[in-house]
Amino acid sequence: MERIDNLFYSFANRSSGMIDPEGIETLCSDMEVDHTDVRILMLAWKMKAEKQGYFTLEEWRRGLKALRVDTVSKLRKALPELEKEVRRPSNFVDFYSYSFCYCLTEEKQKSIDIESICQLLDLVLGSQFRAQVDYFIEYLKIQSDYKVINLDQWMGFFRFCNEISFPDLSNYDPDLAWPLVLDNFVEWMQAKQS
Amino acid sequence: MSNQKKRNFQIEAFKHRVVVDPKYAEKTWSILEHAIHEIYNHNASGLSFEELYRNAYNMVLHKFGEKLYSGLVATMTAHLKEISKSIEAAQGDLFLEELNRKWNDHNKALQMIRDILMYMDRTYIPNTHKTPVHELGLNLWRDNVIHSSKIQSRLLSMLLELVHRERTGEVIDRGLMRNIIKMLMDLGSSVYQEDFEKPFLEVSAEFYMGESQKFIECCDCGDYLKKADLRLNEEIERVTHYLDVKSEVKITNVVEKEMIANHMMRLVHMENSGLVNMLLDDKYEDLGRMYNLFRRVPNGLSTIRDVMTSHLREIGKQLVTDAEKLRDPVEFVQRLLDEKDKYDSIISQAFSNDKTFQNALNSSFEYFINLNNRSPEFISLYVDDKLRKGLKGVSEEDVEIILDKVMMLFRYLQEKDVFEKYYKQHLAKRLLSGKTVSDDAERSLIVKLKTECGYQFTSKLEGMFTDMKTSQDTMQGFYASHPELTDGPTLVVQVLTTGSWPTQPSITCNLPAEMSALCEKFRSYYLGTHTGRRLSWQTNMGTADIKATFGKGQKHELNVSTYQMCVLMLFNNADRLSYKEVEQATGIPASDLKRCLQSMACVKGKNVLRKEPMSKDIGEDDAFFVNDKFTSKFYKVKIGTVVAQKESEPEKQETRQRVEEDRKPQIEAAIVRIMKSRRVLDHNNIIAEVTKQLQSRFLANPTEIKKRIESLIERDFLERDNNDRKLYRYLA
Repeated sequence: MERIDNLFYSFANRSSGMIDPEGIETLCSDMEVDHTDVRILMLAWKMKAEKQGYFTLEEWRRGLKALRVDTVSKLRKALPELEKEVRRPSNFVDFYSYSFCYCLTEEKQKSIDIESICQLLDLVLGSQFRAQVDYFIEYLKIQSDYKVINLDQWMGFFRFCNEISFPDLSNYDPDLAWPLVLDNFVEWMQAKQS
Repeated sequence: MSNQKKRNFQIEAFKHRVVVDPKYAEKTWSILEHAIHEIYNHNASGLSFEELYRNAYNMVLHKFGEKLYSGLVATMTAHLKEISKSIEAAQGDLFLEELNRKWNDHNKALQMIRDILMYMDRTYIPNTHKTPVHELGLNLWRDNVIHSSKIQSRLLSMLLELVHRERTGEVIDRGLMRNIIKMLMDLGSSVYQEDFEKPFLEVSAEFYMGESQKFIECCDCGDYLKKADLRLNEEIERVTHYLDVKSEVKITNVVEKEMIANHMMRLVHMENSGLVNMLLDDKYEDLGRMYNLFRRVPNGLSTIRDVMTSHLREIGKQLVTDAEKLRDPVEFVQRLLDEKDKYDSIISQAFSNDKTFQNALNSSFEYFINLNNRSPEFISLYVDDKLRKGLKGVSEEDVEIILDKVMMLFRYLQEKDVFEKYYKQHLAKRLLSGKTVSDDAERSLIVKLKTECGYQFTSKLEGMFTDMKTSQDTMQGFYASHPELTDGPTLVVQVLTTGSWPTQPSITCNLPAEMSALCEKFRSYYLGTHTGRRLSWQTNMGTADIKATFGKGQKHELNVSTYQMCVLMLFNNADRLSYKEVEQATGIPASDLKRCLQSMACVKGKNVLRKEPMSKDIGEDDAFFVNDKFTSKFYKVKIGTVVAQKESEPEKQETRQRVEEDRKPQIEAAIVRIMKSRRVLDHNNIIAEVTKQLQSRFLANPTEIKKRIESLIERDFLERDNNDRKLYRYLA
């Protein structure tokens, strides 16, 4: 326990008492992981970190205890196991919705701008649903109906990837309650294909 | 006699123990046989009924019923065979007459024979389950005469020959036919059907197949239908005269099938004379005949209805998309009303007010009226025209009729909220310019709209009327409390409640000094009695009457808009004013100012101002002068432009946008209402319910509804169910 706390303070900012973005960057380079790597996001999830770019002592303790590590090298070695855990279907949905909420930086913010969403999609779903993510990102960038994406639409896309056959989209039924942005995406896809 | 001793002696009452003489039966029978002969030979008068009856009675009593019966059969049969021969011998037309005569004879004979043999009929025959005498007589006739090889086919072909002759126009002996046919009917329905009716129907089918082919090649639709009608009635008449009444429906079915059902499509679509031509030319008689004939055959009426519907939709579509016809909205709407009247007439005069046709008419109108999204605007303009001048001098009942017709078009509109917006705009202009022909007519229409759409639709409209009235009272109060003002210019203010009137951005301009002082007095008077209110002058909506004296002394009273008044009053203090000077002095926005100057300087007959240069358009470097040479044959000259007009493209876009914006909260309110009561509901049902709730105002777009649902989810009014993503839940 003491070792975990000490490790925390080695990265934390003296005045705020939290690990801030600078500290995280240091941690990442120590672990030889890029700070934009998805595994950092997974670590945040494990910690149930609330604020993007910051870890509190409580969150740090929670995460490292759960991973049963107390040094940087142990933490690095625990990452593959963590990734496997997150990618388990029972956990992934939770991780997926967490990653959206984690990016809401302002109080009362409910949506994320298109640019950030595209990055987040690539990060979180890119390895699993490469094609869907790439096409959807292309669509988001050229459409003008939506400037932001909300949680409902975010979750809807995940469902879409899991349920709808791609790229034929043959089992997509626009009369069901898919978010409108996906209806439009499918229309755009079908227009492209014909 | 004592019963105990002589056991064998029994007295049996009611039994005649007459010794049966074997020859007795023979003797008795020959008496009866002889009688039958005599009867058939028309010699019955010499016979004693009583004696014969008793003989027959005795035979039956003495158990000789069998002999009597079989004797009867044999004797009758023999006679009938003779009769048969004599009928066969008849030549040509006499055949039927002979048959008829012999049949009558047979019936008479049979009657007498039956009377004589009644005891046998009542006792022996039921016990032995043999055929009763009368029926026996008929059966024997049938078997020996009608079904005799030489008679059967000849009879049939003669009957059919006669029918054919009558169909080709000859007169035949109908009485004889009736008797023969009745004979067949009397012999049993299977005889009638097998020996006459079935072949009759077959032959008729062939006949009418030929007829219809002949006619359809050479007649137009109307004539063909006349002929078919004639034939049908002829057959019905034939049945009443000499056939079994049950044959009527069978023969009419044959005619209907051959003459109508088989040629239905060809008739309806016949070039130059088919259904569409009849509709275009209002051929009520032909249409009525077609209706009555086609209703008899399967799919007849639906065929007419379908052709009428697609025709209506076609011409309706042409009407609403023809740019020429759309140039004048009032004309356009009148055309719609005329078309409706035309078809209402057709349906009532020719289609006996058939409800399904009414429905087809309504659905067609609804279809094409909504093809043009300017229909709501145009209908409002039509109403505006009528209320402004069209209904001048029209009687109260006629006013109601016209308004009811307008309401009917209104009902067809899907976008009733668009109509409401335009109606409000046009009503405002009418009220403010005082240009309505009849207050009663205006009110009447509001009531009709209220009945149709509910209180909400008309509450604001009614508010407008109330404001007008209240303003009148306010003006009276104003002048009553300021008696010193009665000598100056007369001010008439209409105070408009903001929510009720169509929204206008309030622009003020610089009023001439006399007016602004007066307006200020009014403002303080009004706010004195209505604290807490705010007044803003809508100078873009007012009018003014000013007296002008021109160069040669000609005096005129000019009716102008407020803007125009501001401009004109400037010339009391200056002879020449540049555009920029006018703009600065009045503070009127540029586009309005240009329009205002144009209407006073560039329009013939209204050019109270002169412009240099004399170009058509207003340029920023133009200069203006009073037109001293202005003339008009009228003392009062109207220059103001406050009439409702068809909107320009950009205006139309703006209105439509406002309508779309207004719809969003209505959709959301409907969604919330529904979800509040249902708590949980699936996607398709929400769409359906919302659409239904809003359909009296407009047709809600499912995509728009979906957008609103998503917006409500984002604002935490609703959420999706975790397990079933098609379900939405209301969050209290």
